[in-house]
Amino acid sequence: MRSIDIHAHVTPQSYLSAMKEGRVWHGVEPHPLDIEPQLEWTPEQRIKDMDSLGVDVQIASTGAQFYYYGRGGQEIAAMHRECNDEVHQMTIDHPERFKGLAQIPMQDVDLAIAELDRCVNQLGMVGAMIDDKVNGKTFDEPEFLPLWKAAEQMGAVFLIHQGGGTLVNPRTRKYHLPNTIGNLVDRAVTFASFVMGGVMDACPDLKICLAHGGGYACYGVGRMDRSWDVGRLPQIPQPPSAYLSRFYYDCLTHSESALRMLIDMAGIDRVVFGTDWPFDMQIDWPVSWVLSLESLTQEEKEAILWKNMENLLGISSE
Amino acid sequence: MRSIDIHAHISPEGYIRAVEQGEEWYGISGMSHQFHLAVPRTMWTPEQRLTDMDSLGVDVHILSTNAVFYCYDGDANTVAAMDRECNDYVSQLTKDHPDRFAGLANLPMQDVAAAATELERAMTQLGMKGAMIDDSVNGKTYDEPEFYPLWEVAEQTGAVILVHQGMQTVVGDRSTRYHLPNTIGNLVERAITYSSFVFGGVMDKYPGLRVCLSHGGGYTCFGAGRMDRGWQVRSEARVNINKPPSTYLNRFWYDCLTHSEPALRMLIDSVGIDKVVFGTDWPFDMQIDWPVSWVLGLESLTQEEKEAILYKNLEDLLGV
Repeated sequence: MRSIDIHAHVTPQSYLSAMKEGRVWHGVEPHPLDIEPQLEWTPEQRIKDMDSLGVDVQIASTGAQFYYYGRGGQEIAAMHRECNDEVHQMTIDHPERFKGLAQIPMQDVDLAIAELDRCVNQLGMVGAMIDDKVNGKTFDEPEFLPLWKAAEQMGAVFLIHQGGGTLVNPRTRKYHLPNTIGNLVDRAVTFASFVMGGVMDACPDLKICLAHGGGYACYGVGRMDRSWDVGRLPQIPQPPSAYLSRFYYDCLTHSESALRMLIDMAGIDRVVFGTDWPFDMQIDWPVSWVLSLESLTQEEKEAILWKNMENLLGISSE
Repeated sequence: MRSIDIHAHISPEGYIRAVEQGEEWYGISGMSHQFHLAVPRTMWTPEQRLTDMDSLGVDVHILSTNAVFYCYDGDANTVAAMDRECNDYVSQLTKDHPDRFAGLANLPMQDVAAAATELERAMTQLGMKGAMIDDSVNGKTYDEPEFYPLWEVAEQTGAVILVHQGMQTVVGDRSTRYHLPNTIGNLVERAITYSSFVFGGVMDKYPGLRVCLSHGGGYTCFGAGRMDRGWQVRSEARVNINKPPSTYLNRFWYDCLTHSEPALRMLIDSVGIDKVVFGTDWPFDMQIDWPVSWVLGLESLTQEEKEAILYKNLEDLLGV
């Protein structure tokens, strides 16, 4: 059984070298590294771990700590070019094992479009990973529309993945809740911003994959529909739940019943394999986990593990 | 079929009379006036309410004073006096119409000792069933030890604590558009509150504490798997509890206000049918329309499950 992981992170070697040598890296001051040891692995070490896990392909994304949307656009555009060149090199050296998602400098939409264009059309990457927000702005802001239009034309995929704090932080930082609740609520707000902001209507071919199973989007959509029912969302022609099947979602729910509900609500063709390698909140033995789920059919497992991703990326192993 | 609604709000008659006469009422803000004007049913008389309940097929409202009257950021003594008036009013209604109304108290949570005193008065002198409180008190979550005296009184008196957000939720920091502070915010607030009670060790410390999470407990049951993963891999999540947070799901009660049959089904399957109760959010636009009919019309629930939700579980919980 094949498997393609859309949610797998990379740390740039150029960043690691700079930190170890005490050099400034695109404005990042040297600091002691406190990261997962796997993030310092070479691509070859990573491939050995993928072999052990039964993961054939990682769609590698430079980690969310490298968004840096709060800094100067030009400086971070240069950082992101270096990140993306590194990921690109992995895909050149190991074309059967890696594909890439770009970092793009979202603080400057023109620069973000330029880098997405370079990555997709020159480097052969599949799209970009972006945060749920950009310096407080959600993706319904009209200033982002040119990016969605450009991505639509390129066929680029956006993986949405939080960076920095989440909506939970201001209330509590205890018990890992900014992650365990925060990631999921941030994704629901992003779903709502795209849908209720009219972006999905304006860009019918836009490909968005919501990490962490889309968070609370599918479970909570009934309440969003209620606000449409009572006339609070006049700007969209259909209730929010009608847009669930317009997005893709990774399977990172840490719950079989939640994954089952996601499949039932979004459609089995919309759920893809994603593990959050190599972090502690990843799925352990992720291929085995999917294969062991009793409430999924074999066909559904195959759709999640590789078929949907092949369709999404327009590639075929058959 | 009998039905008892734990999620039904009321505004104090004294406030409405004051507003009509252009008078101040415990210094309460103008925001609350807008809130009431927007929903005229908030100003209905008890008799008008009863007529509406008859039309909806709802037998009993467990009345809670509207969340706009929390006023936790107000002067504690003033708010304590206001809450006493709120609670006296609701209590009087339950005496006037004992078959149709029971009551939940409003508490001055900014002063935990005063809140505990008022809860005790509500339970022992006013015949109320518990209290409705916000998800947080001036930024504090319910794992803070300063709230222990309140949980102690609640446990001793058998009070039910209905948790219901106030006028703002954490979503407002990101977006105030599209009604999201309500449609996403209410649900995430409830997940944070569940987590604060559970990860904070409150449910272990007070095994008799009875907490009902409104809006179906929000995202709690759906997101419990990720909380469990966090508990497994993060020591900070294990500071106060030695079993996964999902094992506490059946320690809480939840109303059925999910606006989604699959969500309600998942809630029942996750927490147990004995923990899901009828709650409608009367009289607001985010309420369940024709709520008894909605429950009775759900195809994925058995008749026994519908009866448990509509009245049996609340009869057991509240002794009504």
